[in-house]
Amino acid sequence: MNAKTPAGPATDVPVAVRDAIARLMTEYANAIDNDELERWPHFFTEQCLYQILPRPDYRQGRPIGIWFCDNRDMLEDRVSSIREVNVYEPHVYRHVISPAEITGMNNGAWTAQTSYIVVRTMHDGAMQVFSAGRYVDEIEVDGAIARFRKRIVVPDSPRFDTLVVIPL
Amino acid sequence: MSQAVAARPMRDLVTWPQEGYTRVPLQVFADHEIYSWEQDLIFRGPTWSFLGLEVEIPEPGDYITTFIGDSPIIVVRTADGGINALVNRCVHKGSIICYEPKGSRKRAHNFVCPYHNWIYDFEGGLKTIAFEKGIQDKGGMPEDFDKSKHRLIRLRVDTIRGLIFGTFPEATPPLRDYLGPVMVEHIERTLHGKPKILGRYSQFMHNNWKLYVENSRDNYHPSLLHAFFSTFKLNRLSAEGGTRQDDRNWHHITFTKRYTDAGDQAYDSGMIRAMKTNYGLKDPSLIDQWMEYPDQITNSIQSIFPGFVLQQILNSIGTRQIITRGTDKCELVWTLIGFEDDTEEQTYVRVKQSNLVGPAGLVSMEDGAIGNFVQQGIKGDLDNVAVIEMGGRGVGGMPTRATETSVRGFWKLYRELMGV
Repeated sequence: MNAKTPAGPATDVPVAVRDAIARLMTEYANAIDNDELERWPHFFTEQCLYQILPRPDYRQGRPIGIWFCDNRDMLEDRVSSIREVNVYEPHVYRHVISPAEITGMNNGAWTAQTSYIVVRTMHDGAMQVFSAGRYVDEIEVDGAIARFRKRIVVPDSPRFDTLVVIPL
Repeated sequence: MSQAVAARPMRDLVTWPQEGYTRVPLQVFADHEIYSWEQDLIFRGPTWSFLGLEVEIPEPGDYITTFIGDSPIIVVRTADGGINALVNRCVHKGSIICYEPKGSRKRAHNFVCPYHNWIYDFEGGLKTIAFEKGIQDKGGMPEDFDKSKHRLIRLRVDTIRGLIFGTFPEATPPLRDYLGPVMVEHIERTLHGKPKILGRYSQFMHNNWKLYVENSRDNYHPSLLHAFFSTFKLNRLSAEGGTRQDDRNWHHITFTKRYTDAGDQAYDSGMIRAMKTNYGLKDPSLIDQWMEYPDQITNSIQSIFPGFVLQQILNSIGTRQIITRGTDKCELVWTLIGFEDDTEEQTYVRVKQSNLVGPAGLVSMEDGAIGNFVQQGIKGDLDNVAVIEMGGRGVGGMPTRATETSVRGFWKLYRELMGV
């Protein structure tokens, strides 16, 4: 689950694939930032992997980060928990993402990596850079629709402020 | 050797309420002078602090850096396979000597301060000073400068089941005596194999370190604050549980046996699969587990004074180390572990259950926020007190989790060490 990202960009990616992936990246970030979390699981294939694995552990090939879902039901359970259960001060994220570097194909999915910065704004207005890092993705593209088969969030820092209730 | 050099005596700083350890003056969570005394009297006092895992420094020369309270510490594997711990502060100007989280000095077998290259052996002895004799007979250290009078502060070190602990004073009781037999037995039980690190991260909390320690010993809050289990019908109210302490009430274990009402069939050694129909989760396999321990305990949190926690949440095993970061901040370092002889399926279960713990943990994330809620709440009322009477006014183990007996145990030793 910690395969190293293939090096170098793929040059022969069809424009339609690039468009579909770019759209997926943008919609993913907007859904989270605009508090439409119910959309979040649908950016993934049914059998999928979503993980937040900080950079030092990712580099060392350790399997445990702070978040691990290996099917869409688990993603939906997370959303239910965020909405109904977990206790936290109201806050929102703002994702800024780089263009995706599409690195190749792996077993029918496009591989890509994308940098991100997430600024967290608390209800009282306090803001901070909450997380910066990269997404290491495997994306299935079917016509105009792209979905993550695998999204490993690799934050540069293994230190998290207070709690991480909303997905990165 | 002191952080409290500028602090007034403790007795001038706080008067403990006559009710004793059922009351806690809120100023102890906010006062800078009290914080300084805690560094001297607790973290550098007669207590043992967790430093790391032996498996992190397998070879001679391997080292890690960590903290006891505010004090930076180097932990190193020596040539004979022993472990030394040194204060990471050069005696020259005070710079830290090792500035990476881990490394190896297996060739040189020494530590070199990056500032002026003063060199120390693994015992903390000052071996070499750069330009000691000057350059071309000019400059250099005075003739009578005695290097043997300047050395790194060395701690006492002991280990239990791969956990490394350190203490400053010669007078601290041996580690096993400090822990007491009940705690020793539980550590040896939880860490039943050779540990393997599966992940490490930290949670930065905006509260005084003691608010997290209280939280780790407070078995009254989990079912109330962490509603995940009850909302998704994952906990059985009839499950057996309780609180254990050492006979001086310094340390704490809370435990639950999740399947005590499920009959004997749950206790075989195979996987216990959660049935989809019984729960509110779409994928209840999150809480699939195997019965890892013959005592059938499925959850236990062990809190060792001052700032160490050993957790077993189903099959999620880990250590938590509290590092002080000022009066209103602290950092909790989580290390999730498995064992060398784990099967692939067992590792998978541990990975899946990692969702339960840490800063994004479904049953733990609130602990990162709740201390801050307290820290915000007490600001205007530092002359007031906290009230700690759940489960009575005493200390000692209890056959229930509806109690704050171990929170009182913490304050009992805190007051002894702080002299208030």
